Amino acid sequence: MLKILIPTIMLFFVSWLTPKKWLWTIITTHSLLIASLSLLWFKWNTDMGWDFLNQYLGIDPLSAPLLILTCWLLPLMILASQNHMYMEPIIRQRTYIMLLISLQTFLILAFSATEMIMFYVTFEATLIPTLIIITRWGNQTERLNAGTYFLFYTLMGSLPLLIALLIMQNNIGSLSMLIMQYSQLDLTTWADKFWWTACLTAFLVKMPLYGVHLWLPKAHVEAPIAGSMILAAILLKLGGYGMMRIIVMLNPLTKEMAYPFMILAIWGIIMTSSICLRQTDLKSMIAYSSVSHMGLVAGAILIQTPWSFAGAITLMIAHGLISSTLFCLANTNYERMHSRTLLLARGTQIILPLMATWWFLTNLANLALPPTINLMGELLIITSLFNWSNWTILLTGFGVLITASYSLYMFLMTQRGPTPQHLLSIYPTHTREHLLLNLHLIPTLLLILKPELIWGWTC
Amino acid sequence: MFRLSRCGAGAVSFLTSLHRCPCLRSRGLGRVAFSSSARARRRDDFVKDLENEFVKFRQKVKEVLPGSDWSPLYQTPGLPPERADIVIVGGGVMGWSTAYWLKKKEAIREGVRVVVIERDPTYSRASTVLSVGGIRQQFSLSENIHLSMQSAHFLRNIQEHLNVVNEDPVDIQFNPSGYLFLAGKEESGILEENYRIQRDEGAAVILLTPQQLQRKFPWINTDGVVVASYGLENEGWFDPWLLLNAFRRKAISMGVYQCHGEVVGFEHSTRDMETDDGRSISLKRIHRAIVRMPNSAECQPVECALLVNAAGAWSGKVADMIGIGNGPEGTLEGTKLPVEPRKRYAYVFHCPNGPGLECPLCIDHKRTYFRREGLGGNYLGGRSPTEEEEPEHSDLEVDYTYFQEAVWPNLAHRVPAFESLKLKNAWAGYYDYNTFDQNAIIGTHPLVSNMFFATGFSGHGLQQSPAVGRAVAELILDGKFKTLDLGAFDFIRFYKGTKVLENNIV
Repeated sequence: MLKILIPTIMLFFVSWLTPKKWLWTIITTHSLLIASLSLLWFKWNTDMGWDFLNQYLGIDPLSAPLLILTCWLLPLMILASQNHMYMEPIIRQRTYIMLLISLQTFLILAFSATEMIMFYVTFEATLIPTLIIITRWGNQTERLNAGTYFLFYTLMGSLPLLIALLIMQNNIGSLSMLIMQYSQLDLTTWADKFWWTACLTAFLVKMPLYGVHLWLPKAHVEAPIAGSMILAAILLKLGGYGMMRIIVMLNPLTKEMAYPFMILAIWGIIMTSSICLRQTDLKSMIAYSSVSHMGLVAGAILIQTPWSFAGAITLMIAHGLISSTLFCLANTNYERMHSRTLLLARGTQIILPLMATWWFLTNLANLALPPTINLMGELLIITSLFNWSNWTILLTGFGVLITASYSLYMFLMTQRGPTPQHLLSIYPTHTREHLLLNLHLIPTLLLILKPELIWGWTC
Repeated sequence: MFRLSRCGAGAVSFLTSLHRCPCLRSRGLGRVAFSSSARARRRDDFVKDLENEFVKFRQKVKEVLPGSDWSPLYQTPGLPPERADIVIVGGGVMGWSTAYWLKKKEAIREGVRVVVIERDPTYSRASTVLSVGGIRQQFSLSENIHLSMQSAHFLRNIQEHLNVVNEDPVDIQFNPSGYLFLAGKEESGILEENYRIQRDEGAAVILLTPQQLQRKFPWINTDGVVVASYGLENEGWFDPWLLLNAFRRKAISMGVYQCHGEVVGFEHSTRDMETDDGRSISLKRIHRAIVRMPNSAECQPVECALLVNAAGAWSGKVADMIGIGNGPEGTLEGTKLPVEPRKRYAYVFHCPNGPGLECPLCIDHKRTYFRREGLGGNYLGGRSPTEEEEPEHSDLEVDYTYFQEAVWPNLAHRVPAFESLKLKNAWAGYYDYNTFDQNAIIGTHPLVSNMFFATGFSGHGLQQSPAVGRAVAELILDGKFKTLDLGAFDFIRFYKGTKVLENNIV
C-alpha cells in the first residue's frame, strides 16, 4: 500500500521542483510507473477478504479494481491536459498538476480506507481539488454555476451521512469495514428509517440518482478534460463504492425502503437516455449517458444480490474506462474546432480515419456490444433485476435500446455525413492522442479475457 | 469621487450629514439665537435629516439583498458571451438574415450558438437602412436573377417566415411596382440580351417599344429610348429598416445573441503546409474574435468555431485584421478582399404633377433613376456616378450640387413634369462596393479556414439578403450549397482573375 501512496505523495514535490522543460514528461512517466506498480493489487492472496492490510488501509476485491483504475487514470489525465495547458504560465501548470495529484492521493486513501470516517473525510476532501479544477480551468462563464451545483449537491447529501456515521460509531463502537457486517443492527423504528436514508443519500447524489442528477451535466460539460475524465471515471464510482460498503449494514429496512430509489434509478435510465437523443452539445450527451449507466448501477446495488453486486462493479469499471475515452474523443474535437456543438463537427471519418476507428470502438462499447465488459456488467445487472421483479425487464430493455440508438447517433453525427469545409484543414491526430485513447481502450478490451478481476467478492 | 461599499456609504454619509446639520454648524460658528421656536425648528430639521438618511440606508440595503442585480464583482453590461459557435461580424440585413437561417436550419433547438456583433445600434452609417430598397430580377447573371427571385418569394410570404408569436405582424411595405429599364441605341443590344436571359430563368419581364412605353406611362418622354424592359412580377421596393427589424426580431426570438461592440482583431493560429508543387503556404484558423465595447477600451475575446464576415462596406477592414492580402502581389496570400465603401446619394423631391401612382423604379440609360415614395407626390431619385465623378467616402455629407448639375437635368429630360420639382431631403449611404466585378462574395477563403464571406454586393445586397442568408447557412451547416449554386461568387476568382460581371450596373 505504501509503495503506491508514498510515490504519489512524492509526486507533489516532483511537480514543484522539476524544471519546466521536463515537467510533463517526468510527471507522466512517474505516474505510469505508479500505475504499473498498482497492478500488483490484482494479486489477491486471500480469496474474499482483505489484503495488503494495515491498521488504516486495506484492499478487498471491491476496491482493488477501482484503485487500479484510479492509478491508471492519472497518467492519462496528464496526457490529455498537456495540450490545453501548454500556453499557461508555468506556475499555473504546476498548480494544475498538483491539484490532480492531490485528487489522486485522496482517492487512493478513500478507496483503501478501512474505516468509514476516514472514507468520509477523504470522500469530502476530493471535492476541493475538483471544484478548483472546474471553476478555474473550465471554459465558459457557466463554470461558476456548475461548481456551485457540484459543491452544494454533494455537501447537502453528505452532511446527513456524517451524522449517521457518528450515530453508528456511538451505537456499535467501531466503524471498521472489516467488522461492520458482523454487527447485528436491528433497524425497526421510524428514526432508523431516517438513519437509513441519511446513510445512502450522499452516495445516491454522487452516483447520481436520477432525481438529484442535475449537478452532473453541468460539472462534466464545464470542466476541462482532466476534470471530466476524473469526474466520469472515478468520482461517480466513489458513490457506488460507498453504497456497496454501507448497504451491508442497512438490513432489513432495505427491502421496503429501497423501492422509491429503485424506481428513480430505473426510470432515470430511460429518461436520461432519451435526453441524450436531443442534446446538441457533445459533452452534454456523454454526461447524460453517464447518468443513465449509473442508474443501472444504483438499481443493482440496492437489490443486493451476488450477481447484481458483480454486475455493479463490472459496469463501474467498464463505464469508467469508456466514459473517460468518450470525453477524450470529444476533447480532440474541441481542441481543433473550439466548439462542442454536434452540428459543426460532422463527417470527420474522411479526414481522420484512424480516429474514426477509436470513435467506433468506443461507441460500440458504450452501447454494450458483446463481448465487452460493458455488456457483461449490464447483463448481470439486468438479469438480477429481472429476478428481483419481472417487470423491470421492460424498462431496462427499453433503456438498452435507447442507449444503442444514442450511441449510434453520436457516432453517425460525428463521423459520417458531409464534411464541412472549415474542417478540411484541421490538424491531424497527434500521436499523444492516439496513445491516450489506446491506453483507455486496451484495458477495456483485455479485461474480457479475465473478468474475474473485476467481479468483486461475490462471484 | 471615490466609491465606498454601498452599505458603508450610507452610514458615512449619514455621519457627514450630521456635520452639515444646521444646529451643529451654528453652534460651531458661535451664532447663537436662542428662541424656543427656532430651536424646535432646528430639531425638526435634524429629525428630518435623520429620517432621510434612514431612507437612503434602507434603499442601499435593499439593493444589496438577493433579488437585485448588484454584485461586488462589477461586470460590464452588454459583454458578448465568452464563447459562441458562429460569430457574425456585422448586424446589417446580411448578418441578421444569416443568423435567422442558421437558427432555422438547425434541426434541434440551440443546436448552434450564434452571436451577431454590431458596432452601431443606431445603424447611422449602415448600408441597409440607407438603401433605396428596390428589388428586381433584371440582372444578366443567372445567379443574381435567381437570388432576387427567391428573395422576392421569401418577402411575399414574409408573414409565415418571420412572424413572431404575440408580436405585431411583419409588414415591409412592399410596393410591387416593378423596374423599368430604358435603353438608348448603344445599350439596346445588351438590354435585349439580358431580357432573353431573364426570360430563360423564369423572370416575368417584358420588352416595350417606345410607343407601348408612351401608352403605358403617358408621363414619360421617350426621346432617345429605343427599347425598354419592364418587370411585371416580384419587382418593386420595400422598407429596408422594417425588413432588418423583422429579421432581427425573429432571429432573437430563435435564440441568437446580439452584442453591441466592434470587432478589432482576431486571435488565430497559423499552420504551415505544402502545396503539390512544393510551395509552402500557411493556413490560418481564427480562434477568437476580439470585440471592443462601445465607448470603452475594454475588449472581450469571443471564442468561435466559425466567423461570418457580413460587415458590409467595412468588410475589407475586417479581412485586413486577419491578414487577408498581406503578401506579395499576385499570390494567393496577397489577394485582398476588394470591398470598399463607395458613397451614393439619394434625393427626395416633391412634384405635384409627377407620374403619380403608376410609377415603377425607372432607370434611364444615363444611369439616373427615380421612384415613387409614398402616396403624397414625393419621389426618390439619384444617379450612379461615373468613375470620375466618384465622391470621396470619408463621411456621409450630401452633395446638393450633384443633384443640380447631374441628376435634375436628366430627370427633367425623361419626365417633363420633373422640370418643376422641389428638393425636400437627401441622404447618402455606402455601397459595399466590390472593386473587382461589383458582384457578391460568398463562401470561404482558401487560406483562412473558418471565415465565411457574405459581402461585396455593390448596391444589390438588400434585395438578395434572404436568399444569400440561406445560402451561407447551407454552406455552414450542410457543407455545400443546396438550393442555389453560388460557386461563381467564390473568393478564389480574385486570385484567378475571372470576373463575374453584370452587363448593366446601377
